[in-house]
Amino acid sequence: MKGEIAVLSEEPILRLDGLTKRFGNRVALSGVAFSVERGEYVALFGPSGAGKTTLLRAIAGFEIPDAGKIFLAGREITHTPAHERGVGFVFQNFALFPHLSVMDNVAFGLRNGAKRVPEREVRMRALETIGLVGLKGLEDRGIGQISGGQKQRVALARTLVIRPRLVLLDEPLGALDANLRLRMRAELRRIRDQLQMPFLHVTGNETEALAMGDRLIVLDQGRIGQLGTPAEVYNRPASANVARFLNRYNVFDGALEGGSFASAYGRFPYGVRMAGQKPAYAIRYDRVVAREKDAVPQGPVVRANYIASEYLGAAIVHFFQTNDSKVVEVEHHLSNGPPEAFTEGRAYDLTWKPDDGIVFG
Amino acid sequence: MTSSETAGGAVEIRSLSRSGAARSYLLIAPAAVWMTLFLVIPIAVIIYVSFWTQTTFKIESTLTLDSWRTFFSSDTYVNSLWTTLRIWLIVLIATFVLGYPTALFVGLFVKNKTLQTTLLVLCVIPFWTSFLIRVLAWRPMLGKEGAINIILMKLGIVHQPIEALLFTDLSVVIGMTQIYVVFMVGPIAFMLGRIDPNILEAARDLGANFWQILRKIIFPLSLPGVVVGAMFVSVMVLGEFATSAALSGRKVNLLGNIIVTQVGSLKWALASVVGVILTVIMGLVIAGLLRVVDLKQEL
Repeated sequence: MKGEIAVLSEEPILRLDGLTKRFGNRVALSGVAFSVERGEYVALFGPSGAGKTTLLRAIAGFEIPDAGKIFLAGREITHTPAHERGVGFVFQNFALFPHLSVMDNVAFGLRNGAKRVPEREVRMRALETIGLVGLKGLEDRGIGQISGGQKQRVALARTLVIRPRLVLLDEPLGALDANLRLRMRAELRRIRDQLQMPFLHVTGNETEALAMGDRLIVLDQGRIGQLGTPAEVYNRPASANVARFLNRYNVFDGALEGGSFASAYGRFPYGVRMAGQKPAYAIRYDRVVAREKDAVPQGPVVRANYIASEYLGAAIVHFFQTNDSKVVEVEHHLSNGPPEAFTEGRAYDLTWKPDDGIVFG
Repeated sequence: MTSSETAGGAVEIRSLSRSGAARSYLLIAPAAVWMTLFLVIPIAVIIYVSFWTQTTFKIESTLTLDSWRTFFSSDTYVNSLWTTLRIWLIVLIATFVLGYPTALFVGLFVKNKTLQTTLLVLCVIPFWTSFLIRVLAWRPMLGKEGAINIILMKLGIVHQPIEALLFTDLSVVIGMTQIYVVFMVGPIAFMLGRIDPNILEAARDLGANFWQILRKIIFPLSLPGVVVGAMFVSVMVLGEFATSAALSGRKVNLLGNIIVTQVGSLKWALASVVGVILTVIMGLVIAGLLRVVDLKQEL
């Protein structure tokens, strides 16, 4: 008996096995498999339509997968009804109960759950959680009387108060403005650290994914594109698509020939090769530099016309366009010196160190 | 320069808002005139006439309480007041009990919007026939040798035809419920259709089962629809006379039936008394229903 419990507790809190889901002809999920360990914060990242929300809804029990299995702490829950799973779900639009106060929203799961919780404990736990998310004093407010950021906190408190074994967050910061989003990011991490609950956080925003996750899962057209730490994914994207989603890489099409990559702009030497897929070449925005025409003696070169720049505070992004209309971005960190002045419409040679180039294929 | 510009701007804004106010009065004028001519004045006249002196063939504008005394001292009239309230309450409950599940099905369980609209239109189809036909059609259904009795006897459930089906309170309640239930279904289905499906999923995720969600989330959110539906049904049932005339065999006398007979025998004063009583009851019922929810906030 004791041994059995020990084995169970070694199981990851969530394990997905070949999860597949179709809507008509469209494949939303295709053989998705991964696990979430106890206390882990996993960011699930991908462009819209990648199947992120479908995956989350399948784990919560709002969608039944066509194939594959879902295990929660070693127990299969693939066909368990949503209200018996003990998985918390925080909705993008918050989905608060509009006719209930903040207090009653948070207490809902305790009052209506499968386990009967005495009303004294309900109030105590609800108040404690309301305090944890920083809403002390707003218990009696109606949902119409609080701001968007406060609604987000109520949604979080409502889920956390039932002590779910796993918390699913569906683009939880998507409905907030940029300023608030940054503050809530720090808040989410603080709350998570305090509770030590595993979080699975879905986001379409690459910065959010990199910032929040202990581990990052990149979803690409219903399949797992990459699985790794934020640094691994950021520095070594596993595919050209992952590199594109990160929004940090210029990606070129072409073919792998001999020891270099043949693109429409000439041959590119490379540093790293990720094998086994459609050939492509990726170089990070901040690794590219622009030089005067014909000033580059050797190495990879892309000739492009300067269009415009965008000032980001700590960095500046210059946009160049090649003759076949491909936009190449060059990021210059202002801590490395003042930005160069480019002339609009004039051609420059863009180059980088061959070692920084990643080739797929 | 700047200050004079500001002052000019302020003047302009003020005159704009004044003409705006004038325009809004103009916009409500037709409705106000209409309501005054056809609601306020008639009600005032009815109240006034209820105090007139009625003799067998004549009515005079000498003020008296005679007609009011006649109404409240006659068992027939007072009983018809209670009958009206009883039938109203039973029909209201029946339309809710039948209408709520129907609305729940149409408004919440049918996900396809086209199918939803189709089902609601189906509910309205009986209204394409005349009121009288709809009511009278119940006679061959409920009668001693009517369809229901024939079926029950063929199935061997009863051996004697049930006579209580027609020309009783029950037949009036059945007839009215069938006619008015759709006014309950419509507003409730509308409110249910507006519930964000994520809210129901959130409740499920928090561990609530179907009945808890129905009681704690769906019903409270649909309450404004229930109140609006109840208002529709109440106003129509309280003023009813045709269904009871056709299906009760003159045994069920509602306040509406009394108005019809009194007007028929040119007893205008007593008819006005009943009219005033009916209007007061409707006012009380609506005021009561409005206390249940704040419709201004909900709709």
